[in-house]
Amino acid sequence: MKFNIIPGDIPLPLPTGGLEFMEPVFHALLVVSWVIHILFINVLLGASFASVYFNKRGVNEKNPVFDKVAYLLTTPVTISENMGALWGVAPLLLVSILITPLFYSASIMNSPHWLHIIYGNIVAFLLSYLYKYTWHTLHARKSLHILIGTIAVAMFFTLPLAFMSTVQLAMTPSTWTYHTHFWDILLRSDTFFRLVHFYLASFAVTGVFMLVYGMYKRRSDDPEIVEAGKVLTRTGKSWFLVPTVINLFIGPLVLFSFPDYGIEAFFNHGFHWLIVLTVLVVVYAGYQLLKDFFNDDLPASKVWSVVAVMFIAVVSMATLRHGMRMGLISPVLAASKAKTEAFQKESLLAFEAAQKAQSEAPVVTQPAGMALAEKHGCLACHNAEVKVVGPAYKDVAQKHYSATQIVQLVHQPKPENWPGYMPMPPMPQVPPADIAQIADWINSLK
Amino acid sequence: MFDYPIFEMPLLGHRFLFAFDAILHVFISHGAAVGGSIILMLSQWLAIRNNDRKLDELSYKILFTFFILATAVGALTGIGIWIHINIINPAAIGALLRVFFWKWFIEWIVFNVEMIFLLWWFLSWKSAPLGTPAKAKNFKLGMTYAIASWFTMAIITAILGFMMTPGNWLKSYFPAEPDYLAALFNPSWIPSLGFRTFWSIAWASAMAMLLSWLFTRNDTELRQKAMRLYGTVLLACIPLFCLFGAWYYDQFPQAAKDLFWMGAITRRLAAHPEYATYLMVGLSSMVLAGAVSLYAKPKRTPLVMAVIMLFGSMGLIGEFERVREFVRKPYIIYDYMYANGVRVADVPYLNKDGYLKHAAFVPPEFRSVTPDNKLMAGKYLYQMQCRYCHTVNGINAIRTRIQGMDEQSIFIRIGALNSPATPFMPPFTGTEEERHALAAYLDYIRVNKVESEDDLVKSSAPVYAH
Ligand code: HEC
Ligand code: HEC
Repeated sequence: MKFNIIPGDIPLPLPTGGLEFMEPVFHALLVVSWVIHILFINVLLGASFASVYFNKRGVNEKNPVFDKVAYLLTTPVTISENMGALWGVAPLLLVSILITPLFYSASIMNSPHWLHIIYGNIVAFLLSYLYKYTWHTLHARKSLHILIGTIAVAMFFTLPLAFMSTVQLAMTPSTWTYHTHFWDILLRSDTFFRLVHFYLASFAVTGVFMLVYGMYKRRSDDPEIVEAGKVLTRTGKSWFLVPTVINLFIGPLVLFSFPDYGIEAFFNHGFHWLIVLTVLVVVYAGYQLLKDFFNDDLPASKVWSVVAVMFIAVVSMATLRHGMRMGLISPVLAASKAKTEAFQKESLLAFEAAQKAQSEAPVVTQPAGMALAEKHGCLACHNAEVKVVGPAYKDVAQKHYSATQIVQLVHQPKPENWPGYMPMPPMPQVPPADIAQIADWINSLK
Repeated sequence: MFDYPIFEMPLLGHRFLFAFDAILHVFISHGAAVGGSIILMLSQWLAIRNNDRKLDELSYKILFTFFILATAVGALTGIGIWIHINIINPAAIGALLRVFFWKWFIEWIVFNVEMIFLLWWFLSWKSAPLGTPAKAKNFKLGMTYAIASWFTMAIITAILGFMMTPGNWLKSYFPAEPDYLAALFNPSWIPSLGFRTFWSIAWASAMAMLLSWLFTRNDTELRQKAMRLYGTVLLACIPLFCLFGAWYYDQFPQAAKDLFWMGAITRRLAAHPEYATYLMVGLSSMVLAGAVSLYAKPKRTPLVMAVIMLFGSMGLIGEFERVREFVRKPYIIYDYMYANGVRVADVPYLNKDGYLKHAAFVPPEFRSVTPDNKLMAGKYLYQMQCRYCHTVNGINAIRTRIQGMDEQSIFIRIGALNSPATPFMPPFTGTEEERHALAAYLDYIRVNKVESEDDLVKSSAPVYAH
């Protein structure tokens, strides 16, 4: 595979403390922390959507149980938005040391849109708090309340667009050009299928979450909460089943939209067996739920077995995703590392040569005033003979200033004396005694 | 930053974009989280000790506000600092992460504790009424939150201290080998931590005073109690952070101290350092006037005094962060990396071999300068080396910085960017031809109000024209 663009690496060692086994540990930590982050985000999207949905349904059907369900769902929203942000930090940290050049390059190519995951998130976050904490105040104004909730949910749903396109771009360096940009990637089929897969998975994961949450609520002493728990259980089952079945078809589309060399590496390393495992496990979970589809009092053992089995599926998916990622980018990472090492080798030679040249540089004798003018940076803008940024000192000498006047003019220049020039910046840090010597030198130029 | 793609932020520029997020984060994380957790812990403790239901309720209302701010804005803008620097100066954050990985990792674990205990403290406050054992437990949650949030600040301060005063952190340059402990225990860590800790508490007290005013409209007794409590804390912190501030300043490198006055105002006003003094005295008096009058006459002082105090504090904090960022120039990591991502030790090689030659994201036809591609090559150089601090037309516009010059004088001027006249700028890095190309491009934008692609790429490179 030929890559057009090979970014450079960071010329500092990986923080492994010299231990060989740390690198695989970093990779494992990346997979685990990323999964946890994604699960929180899944629940955030699903539960915030569900809350607004049940809120609306409660109004339409005049059923207080649905309103209760909607309100109960705001707690997991608060927790998952906070924990989701928090658990995004660990993968960010690990990605930044393991695949530094790819991830940074991708986020720059996607900027400023990439910043949406911060600013869009803040807006969504504040709106979702507004939605939650005005629940009772706005009880009489439901349509306004639902509108706030809807905007918050819509905002949350835009965040994966920025996120997925950056991750997808970082994973596919073979597609980089010199002017790749956000919209190019967002509208690509691979990004599109991954997004569809992700949104559907969010509903499925929220479905599993509802099974657990509903189970706890069914144990309450309050009959209204028990009813709400039953609604959650019932909804959880269909929210899990329907998107999961669709995803069995979207999955292959995702897989085969990756670049060929990545798919090849994927199969060569045997990651496809994890796909088989995932499908088996998911089908088993689906079968278990279908058997009890009309039973709203789903027993705890069944709930936990679905959770356990789906946990295996999620870890397996995350691992195979990591496998695909590394298959796609390892060649570029290796090239990037080699390129940086070669650069450093050459740079060392030039660095040493420069140091040597400096220590051997002949000492030139120049007038004291000129040396000081050099030292204080006057010569960045002035030359004795010709106009540069400021007038030639030869021309300044024509004005026959006294040393004191020149001190004044350096500390507080008068641009009106030299129309057509940019104003000289005031340089109060230069000591008057030095300026006096510079002035003597200037006035010696005729 | 020749290793990375180019991202332009028209008009506002990179520094503004970054500063916007960073300052928002500082206001909220220092006030609502670090300082806020400490003072609310204190007032909850007093409420428990005196069985004071009203103070307990007031503390909860303040916590509610701080909770919303800290979680929705503080935490996200904190991650935002990282995301911003990712796209603005990837080489620098990449280096910092490699040196500080484990400290950051530990910080993240503590950040977990912080978040979980904040959520727990806040969500269980109401279900733990005064006088019950649950209340004592709830107080411990707050205490854990306060300790954790201070600890996260301690680590981040080490990294900020490192950027300004890295100490002897490099065992060797080629290949670069950090001394991780020396980097952590850099000279300005402890003084800057003390400085930040005390002004965070003071700033949180100022916020709490304003909020207390709003929440006690019908209860001036409670208002008096709150103002005395938070006012005492605020006034007691002032001498402490001044002391630590002086110690912190003392650690600055001399070159950074020299830039202090210029950082405090603008370069145009550098002839009048007294303006900076007026500014700081003015802002400090706003804080003091508000704090003292609210403390002395809590029942009669109007809301506007609290607002004045708040704006004064924000001004001082903003000013401090601005000066700290400015005096570190031209570096992003002192003596190691320039603000534009070029490592100091790589400069001789880049000057000899060429900068564009190594630019991974510049199309190959612009990697060596020719008469035809000169303007475009110059544009790439501008974007990679100057855009970090300059924009074309907006903030610190390069176009106005070169008015009155011509191509020749621009060429001479950019050969001495790092001279003592403008020590805050990194040197131009690249070959003689590249410097000519940059001068040509700058002169082109000086003369032409709009850039036309036809001018920039004359006959060459159909590749670029997309
Ligand atoms: C950033 C570029 C720059 C630097 C650095 C600079 N000058 Fe100037 N200087 C100018 C310009 C432009 C003018 C003409 C316009 C003006 O006076 O404002 C000028 C004018 C002068 C004049 C004539 C003043 C008059 O009003 O007739 C003197 C004398 C002078 N400079 C001395 C110095 C000395 C000494 C230093 C170093 C300590 C120095 N300059 C550094 C740009 C510079
Ligand atoms: C670290 C930030 C930084 C970088 C990087 C930087 N500059 Fe500047 N530059 C400044 C600041 C700050 C000023 C002063 C603005 C003022 O006068 O208020 C300045 C001023 C200038 C001036 C006017 C100089 C004078 O003496 O008045 C020129 C010309 C200039 N910059 C060119 C460049 C060029 C070309 C590059 C890229 C090779 C560059 N700068 C990179 C920060 C920077």
